[in-house]
Amino acid sequence: MITIRVNGEAREAPDPDRNLLSYLRYDLGLTGTKYGCGEGLCGACTVLVDGQPLRSCMATVGSVAGGALTTIEGLAEGGRLHPVQEAFVAESAMQCGYCIPGFIMAATGLLNREARPSAAQIREALAENMCRCGTYQRIQRAVERAAERLAGGAS
Amino acid sequence: MTEAVRTDQEGLRIIGQVAMGFPPRPGSYASVAYNNARPDVQEATWLLVRPDGTAVAYAGKVEYGQGIRSGLAVEVADELRLPLGAVEVVLGDTELVPWDMGTFGSQSTARVGLQLRKAAATAREALLELAAARLDLPVGDLEARDGRVWSRRDASRSVSYGELLAGQQLARDLLDDAPLTPAAEFSIMGRPAQRVDAVARVTGAAVYSYDVLLPGMLFAKVLRPPSYGARLLEVDASVAERLPGVVQVVQEDGLVAVLAESDAQAEQAARLLQARWEERADQPSHLDVPDLLARTAREGYTTQEAGSLEEGFAAADHVLETVYYVPYVSNAPMEPRAAVARWEDGRLTVWAGTQRPFGLRAELAQHFGMDEADVRVIAPEIGGGFGGKSIYTVGLEAARLARAAGRPVRVALTRTEEMMWATFRPAALIQVKSGFTADGTILAWQFTAYHAGERPFIGRRGSECPYHVPHVNVTVYAAESPLRTGSYRSLGGAVNHFARESHVDEIAAAVGMDPVELRLRNLTHPRFRRVLEAAAREFGWSPGKAPSGRGVGAAIGLDVGSYVAECVQVDVQGSEVKVERVAAALDCGLTVNPEGARNQMEGSIVMGLGTALYEAVDFTAGRLQTAGFARYRVPRINNAPAITVALVGDPETPSTGAGEPGIVPIAAAIANAVFDRTGTRVRELPLQRHLR
Repeated sequence: MITIRVNGEAREAPDPDRNLLSYLRYDLGLTGTKYGCGEGLCGACTVLVDGQPLRSCMATVGSVAGGALTTIEGLAEGGRLHPVQEAFVAESAMQCGYCIPGFIMAATGLLNREARPSAAQIREALAENMCRCGTYQRIQRAVERAAERLAGGAS
Repeated sequence: MTEAVRTDQEGLRIIGQVAMGFPPRPGSYASVAYNNARPDVQEATWLLVRPDGTAVAYAGKVEYGQGIRSGLAVEVADELRLPLGAVEVVLGDTELVPWDMGTFGSQSTARVGLQLRKAAATAREALLELAAARLDLPVGDLEARDGRVWSRRDASRSVSYGELLAGQQLARDLLDDAPLTPAAEFSIMGRPAQRVDAVARVTGAAVYSYDVLLPGMLFAKVLRPPSYGARLLEVDASVAERLPGVVQVVQEDGLVAVLAESDAQAEQAARLLQARWEERADQPSHLDVPDLLARTAREGYTTQEAGSLEEGFAAADHVLETVYYVPYVSNAPMEPRAAVARWEDGRLTVWAGTQRPFGLRAELAQHFGMDEADVRVIAPEIGGGFGGKSIYTVGLEAARLARAAGRPVRVALTRTEEMMWATFRPAALIQVKSGFTADGTILAWQFTAYHAGERPFIGRRGSECPYHVPHVNVTVYAAESPLRTGSYRSLGGAVNHFARESHVDEIAAAVGMDPVELRLRNLTHPRFRRVLEAAAREFGWSPGKAPSGRGVGAAIGLDVGSYVAECVQVDVQGSEVKVERVAAALDCGLTVNPEGARNQMEGSIVMGLGTALYEAVDFTAGRLQTAGFARYRVPRINNAPAITVALVGDPETPSTGAGEPGIVPIAAAIANAVFDRTGTRVRELPLQRHLR
């Protein structure tokens, strides 16, 4: 039995070899993190570990023991959307929306390490995430908007 | 779970016919593909105005990314004079919503949107009458605004919808001639509106079929053949059955599946099933398909005929004959198919991300010999489909397994299963022969297309020549298909457009004319001319003879009644094509939700870019080599162009679809731009594979 922190709460995990994505979705019921390919190629399963993106479909629960996990459900604080979530809403950066949690987590990870990313840095950081609906232009604008908001404090 | 509308519901119900425009047009996709599509009731509740002054609209469509929930909410809110937030839209649950054939062919706004506008206008008129009695004023002196009915003369006299409906159980028949709001008076329609379901999508709260988890539910892993056409000879489950967590191995009429308490246990046990298969080695590979299509052509259907080709070719200064080929492509939605089934007291409920909840209900009822009223299909949020999720066999698998287990069962495909066992956009081989004068006037047009698939209508869509040509023959054939074909965004249309708009560009090059000018010379239809001129203006098109080295290309299209044109700019390095920007113009008549229409155009362009540059399904001996994102490349954010969309529809023209037209011109526009950049004409998709 190991203990990991998910969205600020200590959770028990009986099997350290359990696939992290399955654990989050089927054991904890945190289904906002999506299965897309199971091969680390589409980014739908992206979560944050200590603020940095991780493909949960390629990880085991044991590999993140000791780290602080954030899933899409844990991003909003006190009922207020995170600025990256707000920006995706404002730019209508979604169609079916299935990939969007993964994009939001990847973008949040980027902004955690690079407060003012260039357009090229945003593309590079999100190039491993797939949106089959093709809303990339809006996603790009949403991340730029969130970066401005976070850096400038303007609302 | 939301409850069905009761006949004694408090509020005002609007009741209308369920099947507008039914039966489907003969020869249309729906009429041929879904022969079980029959409404079981004639009438249903379309709209309920509740005594708290809010409204709920019911529609049999599903939300799979096209933003229809938002589009319908906008229409109802505007007609009912309510704020957007006061309108809820219930979709895709067979117990709650009016019967619907399915969500495809861009019919949602055109048909259901119009029906709901009429329902809302009927409700508004009824509320005005109720208010007239309450306020003792003539109806003509009243107007509805912000959820209240007001006296036009005396602003102090008004009554809210809630006050009018409290304690009432009213029902009205939907008036087909209900007075719709003229475009000039729209306050919500025609303006950019955010999606009503956006917050659920950014917080992870939106529930897709992959996310449906029920108490006591078992995870299934279905044994799938290693190759197409493989026959199961025998299976030994004795090892698998003994694994911890395994509840049952079902073997029933060709369906073999492990049922376990967890997903990992089911998967692990399924790997331990000892199965012997008889595989078919004698199957064509993707390389055999072009030849196969021409060789097995059948059921020719002439979609357009005029004048005499012989005469046209004889009068022409030039005759040009070219052949185009488009391979199979995968829909590859982000969410693989998944379904959860539950049996309770002889009733069956299935959660499935299908584009045809009522179609699936009919299939289930038929399979189990049940009354359709005892089967409920709920389509939750759907993680993309692009036409393909009209076929959704995992729904039946889950229902069969749940019945065998006596517990709820979930079947969810892996990415590999999704890509192997879904359907594919049919491959096509298209021959085009044209005759034209030295000044670029097209006199003769012969278009012969061979589309893979058992359904001959597939190739009809978008095959007609939109140019004013006196001598025309357009004939499409069905041909043998080694892969299972199914629907896709603008099925057939996008493929036919690639051939036609590439060939028209070749005519322009042959006579040394600017490709936009040549198109305008041969176009008389005002809506076509308008979109092409708008796209060219938006792009900043400057006339030139291709190949100019600049890397610019254009194409036009017509799909689901909407007119579209696109101009693109590319850069080419070796065989790597970068589409830098796209300027598009769309005329879909009244644009109910411009933000939604733009989003759909952008998505269609990116999806079409993938089919133009990278996507092709490769297979040999019944095995798929591209069943995953490692081998099947789709566009990523660093491949996405800057896209602008000009919406040029006339608001007094009825709405037509916006979700599909954007894909039809893009592949040809890119191929034309690649030619303009490099001087190399590539007639086979995907371009990057064939660009040398």
